[in-house]
Amino acid sequence: MQGIAALQPYVIALFLVWAALMKLFSRRMRAEAGRTALARLVGSARAIPTLRLVGVVELAVAAALLLPPVSPEEGAAAAVLCTGFLAYLTYSYATAPTSSCGCLGAHSHPVNWRAFARAGLLCVAGIAAIWARPYPLDPPLVALGLVEVVALLGLSAELDRYWLRPLRQLLVRIRRPLAVRSPEEIPLEVSLHLLYRSPAYCSASAQLTSDVQDVWDEDDLRFVVYGARERTAVFAIPLSGVDPSAVRVALT
Amino acid sequence: MTSRRQMLKSALLGGGAGVVAATALGSLGPEAAFASAKAQEVEPGAPDPNFAEGRIRSIKDNTLLVLGSNMVFHNIRVVDGTSLWKLGPIPFDQAKPGDGLYARGVRMPDGVLAAEAVWLNIVNIKGHIKNITSDKLHLDHNGQEVLCHVVPGKSVAIHSESPPSSDLSMLRVSQHVQILGAWRPDTNEVDIATVFSPH
Repeated sequence: MQGIAALQPYVIALFLVWAALMKLFSRRMRAEAGRTALARLVGSARAIPTLRLVGVVELAVAAALLLPPVSPEEGAAAAVLCTGFLAYLTYSYATAPTSSCGCLGAHSHPVNWRAFARAGLLCVAGIAAIWARPYPLDPPLVALGLVEVVALLGLSAELDRYWLRPLRQLLVRIRRPLAVRSPEEIPLEVSLHLLYRSPAYCSASAQLTSDVQDVWDEDDLRFVVYGARERTAVFAIPLSGVDPSAVRVALT
Repeated sequence: MTSRRQMLKSALLGGGAGVVAATALGSLGPEAAFASAKAQEVEPGAPDPNFAEGRIRSIKDNTLLVLGSNMVFHNIRVVDGTSLWKLGPIPFDQAKPGDGLYARGVRMPDGVLAAEAVWLNIVNIKGHIKNITSDKLHLDHNGQEVLCHVVPGKSVAIHSESPPSSDLSMLRVSQHVQILGAWRPDTNEVDIATVFSPH
């Protein structure tokens, strides 16, 4: 337990430095500050100064956590900061469910369970850091720290485009989930697309008053029936073929 | 139904039906249609009396009681010549209470809309593809996930200007698409009619 507690200041400091650098130096983040939930909380005119202030506080807490000596107050400060994030997330989820939180970088994702899980995990880490004492790092502890960091990174929607999107693209390329299973069946939309481009349809379309009333296939033709005022328009569309001029029409 | 189909088929194939034809019943040309069409009677900005939208509250015989999104009730009568769409042409018995609806027709003196065309649950959404799993597109529409089902034999993709194809396997994760489909009432799920892809 001692070892785990000793590890937490480093994990929290890593994320605080990331968050602070983004808030202080990311031009895109400043540009999008007006669209985050923060703008709603403090007003859009004060969003950027508030963003900078939070960044400075994060950097200060991160520096205190990283630099010796280790004291319980540092852990307490981190825990308070993380609790503040959690409260802010809850606020933005309740009042501005479509805005992004603007926590660790600019992106357009609204607050979701991943944002809460990350803030919650950091909060638990902050509380654990209160009991941090100097402790020698050994390989299992480093591995645990890495797992924790990877879990926190995995919960960060800001990084999805670097790993989640390529991973999904790769899986889709391997599994081909949309491969056609019944190619012999010709969807109606295919025939309608041919119909809309046909001279027959252009000549009759001003008369049509309804959408498709009836469809059936017969003799390699697809018959499509429309209402045309008190009458009926019937089109014959070749099932195979791409020539719109082959479409026939009759008004009965 | 079969005899009606036979009659329509023979009208089309038997006689002088043509690509652009003047039929025995008069010209098919647009001039004829516009000549007989009544002048625009609706004031700009005023609601069109011949259109209704809303969700079906109840169905009695051939009449739909529909509550509009502006809290106005509509009585919509469905007759033999009415076309109904729900991911494709459907018979009347597939219209269910809870379905969303757009209807166009002729307003009767008693206030009932005699429908010529009814579109049930039709939606048109844009977004980008978050993920693709078996026969499903996970669409991110302004941060909201919409689950779009591929329906074999019905769903098609139109890539750029090419003709529609039932092969949707060209779609890619993270690309932008527009989806025309049928909403599954009270869910965030949609059955795909057409996916429009810019490339």
